[in-house]
Amino acid sequence: MRSRGFGSFAAAALVAGAILWSFATTDVELSRILSSGPRIANFLGRMFPPDTSVMQEIIKGSAETMRIAILGTLGAVLLSVPLGLLASETMAPPASYRPIRTLLAFIRAIPLILVAMLMVGAVGLGPLPGIIAIAFHATGMLAKFYAEAIDGVSPAPLAALESAGAGPFARLRYAIWPQMAPVVARDTIFRFELNLRESLILGVVGAGGIGFYIQTYVRSFQYDKAASVTLAVVVMVVAIEGVNVVLRRRFS
Amino acid sequence: MTVATQIDDVSFVHSGGDTRALEHVSLSVQAGEIVALLGPSGAGKTTFLTLLDGRLRDWRGRVSVLGTPLDPDHPPLRAGRPDIGFVFQEFALVERSTVLRNVLNGRLGRMSPLRAVFGAPDARDLRVARDALADCGIADLADRRVDSLSGGQRQRVAIARCLAQEPRLILADEPVSSLDPTRAAEILTLLTQAARARGATVLFSSHQPDLARRFAQRVVGMRDGRIAFDVPTSGLSEDATADLYRDAAQMPAIGLRAVI
Repeated sequence: MRSRGFGSFAAAALVAGAILWSFATTDVELSRILSSGPRIANFLGRMFPPDTSVMQEIIKGSAETMRIAILGTLGAVLLSVPLGLLASETMAPPASYRPIRTLLAFIRAIPLILVAMLMVGAVGLGPLPGIIAIAFHATGMLAKFYAEAIDGVSPAPLAALESAGAGPFARLRYAIWPQMAPVVARDTIFRFELNLRESLILGVVGAGGIGFYIQTYVRSFQYDKAASVTLAVVVMVVAIEGVNVVLRRRFS
Repeated sequence: MTVATQIDDVSFVHSGGDTRALEHVSLSVQAGEIVALLGPSGAGKTTFLTLLDGRLRDWRGRVSVLGTPLDPDHPPLRAGRPDIGFVFQEFALVERSTVLRNVLNGRLGRMSPLRAVFGAPDARDLRVARDALADCGIADLADRRVDSLSGGQRQRVAIARCLAQEPRLILADEPVSSLDPTRAAEILTLLTQAARARGATVLFSSHQPDLARRFAQRVVGMRDGRIAFDVPTSGLSEDATADLYRDAAQMPAIGLRAVI
């Protein structure tokens, strides 16, 4: 009992210490906090009314974002098929699926924006680093999902086809694939939707797409134009969410 | 009369999984016979049927199925597999495929490898599949997906898939244990009738003595991986059946016995 009381006291002290340390070492003064209200109001005021003359840029940027998401997803699928097979417990030996699963977890742990920044450094500005970053980042999740789809196949129909004398390819096509296909389709569409959403902001680090215009307009103090682009992004995210809801209903 | 299966002194030591042990099992089944394997769960019925289907390894003894000896170290040649049909307790159907597709899956071993992979059944494959569906009373369900069917309908599909193989020997592992009594009798009626019409031998397992008595010509009692009795159905006594299930409730798992 005493040790438990000491434990909660130590935890409370640790949390309090962490908060005090953050305040003490960050440049947060009371006057700045108080004055930030009017400043934010001023900033928002300069965003209105949104400048709708940037429609061309919005369409161009959205189309590029769409292309990045499509090609990035394609790249992720191409990488995930072999990696998913190698990461599956039913298709690969432990010497294969254990390290591959660790690698995939490592890839998932790296934030997309970081990968995009590194890729901009490596291959230069434009949509190409965005596509590479999306393909790399999405593979961490998609290959894991593919492996789970393979491992989720019920073995009973496989035994039945083996008993009937079906060869390995016929078994793959008529017992394994019909069980896997809906899962693979659902996971791929889900990942495409995530890719589209995440690639909206890739332009902020120079990796192409509509985010590039937000960055450009904010840096050049054209807040009314930035507001239009931001609104367009919000509309697209809501639209993607709507499509997602419909698709989820279809695949559940 | 020709012998459908000849089993001499077969033993199997279970290797930790779900499979039960077999101890010195010998049995001879004549072509065209309908034989029930009766016994409590854990008696080794599934192990025995799986062995005859050529899907078990590392057993000892001599087994000949439809005139072909089984090799405990190698799976049987694919060419012989369609001759032996297997009906699974839990149906083992591809849930998202249609009824017809599942029944055609039973033809895969009879098709040329190319036809099998490209999913191009010929006229004969389709006719055999349709006949099997009609015999199982589910011709009208051909285009339905299996996951929309009831348990009784699913077992009809599984039997139709087995019949589509044109088997000479049908092994049925507790084919009706997951169905209610009315459904169970219906399924066993159509299975035994279809087998008789085709001249196929049937070996089905059950833990229900009344089903064995009603549908088989011969009853083989199994307990603890051994054959306890082997009698014509008319000679099946209440005592022998009761003996089979004696202590069945408190009988320890075979795995425990093996440890001791």
